[in-house]
Amino acid sequence: MGTLPQLIEEDIQRLDEALRELLEKSDATTALIIDKGGFLISGQGDTRQFDLTTIAALASGAYMANQTIANLVHETNFNSVYQQGEKYSMFVICIDESSLLVVIFKASVSVGAVKYFAVPAVKQIADQMQIAQERDPGGGLDLSVLNIADPSALFKKREA
Amino acid sequence: MAIINQATKELQVKIVYYGPAMGGKTTNLVQVHDHVQTAAGNKGKLVSLATSSDRTLFFDFLPIEAMSIKGFKTKFQLYTVPGQVIYNTTRQLVLRGVDGIVFVADSQYEKMPENVDSFTNLEENLKSLKLNLADIPYVLQYNKRDLPNVAPVEYMEFLLNNRDVQVPSFASTAHKCEGVFETLNMITRMLLHKFVSQGTPQYA
Repeated sequence: MGTLPQLIEEDIQRLDEALRELLEKSDATTALIIDKGGFLISGQGDTRQFDLTTIAALASGAYMANQTIANLVHETNFNSVYQQGEKYSMFVICIDESSLLVVIFKASVSVGAVKYFAVPAVKQIADQMQIAQERDPGGGLDLSVLNIADPSALFKKREA
Repeated sequence: MAIINQATKELQVKIVYYGPAMGGKTTNLVQVHDHVQTAAGNKGKLVSLATSSDRTLFFDFLPIEAMSIKGFKTKFQLYTVPGQVIYNTTRQLVLRGVDGIVFVADSQYEKMPENVDSFTNLEENLKSLKLNLADIPYVLQYNKRDLPNVAPVEYMEFLLNNRDVQVPSFASTAHKCEGVFETLNMITRMLLHKFVSQGTPQYA
């Protein structure tokens, strides 16, 4: 499994630009970049009305489950999932080995347009991920500023 | 693999609760969800993809933030896997990107073979993802200690924790929330310790 590169501010800006451009051109509502393990990396558009953390976890699970089904029926050319709704629809497309693009759009918006404009967005995002990967191929974690205030209990049980 | 976002100072970590069917994995998440002390707004909804008889079908999912970590907004995503043998493909999917594992064993004597099988299955599934259990922080939880027919903790240690490097283990009664937070706090401490010690040499 591929691991996500360490992303710096410049990377996130570029990724967000790609998402904003996609939303503008396709008239979609929300666009997310998520990790295949279920983490939300970045989101643009209307990010308030949806629970994005949960959508990221479920969308990656749905994509991976569908990919496994595709393999079981000997389908090798699998790279996207389209969920059709009456109010909102969702399109999930593979970016690279470790990440996915999720686009949420109103049912009135053309899925063709979303699919069409998602392709260049995916390319742009994948290129930026590649740049980040090459900048720091080791991809270590700098958590030197991480400070555990109370190491005895990171999570505390609420008193009844 | 944990996600770190330097731009927004966010760290996202995935912890998977693994173990045999009906062992109490979902109950652990329900108890954390019901009892965790949080600042407003940083406890997510518990999402459960379950069958009509409350057996986990795909996974349960609970996003939470630790209150006592400064510097990074640290988001923990807790997952369970379906314990039933037939759902192995689903377990492999949920394990993808895992950072830490809580193995929830059922303490009842008759469940020992299932505990051992599930642990072996965990190792096999990690291998299929090119991961090695020895490289991943994990803890053991011996659940259902309130039942009359439980095996002694020493026996469970012999069965499940009999390796070169022994990991922390906790006796628990998840439905009474006993041992649940102790387990969660230990796995998060082990994870953070691993991240910090991995990150240091690069910037030293």
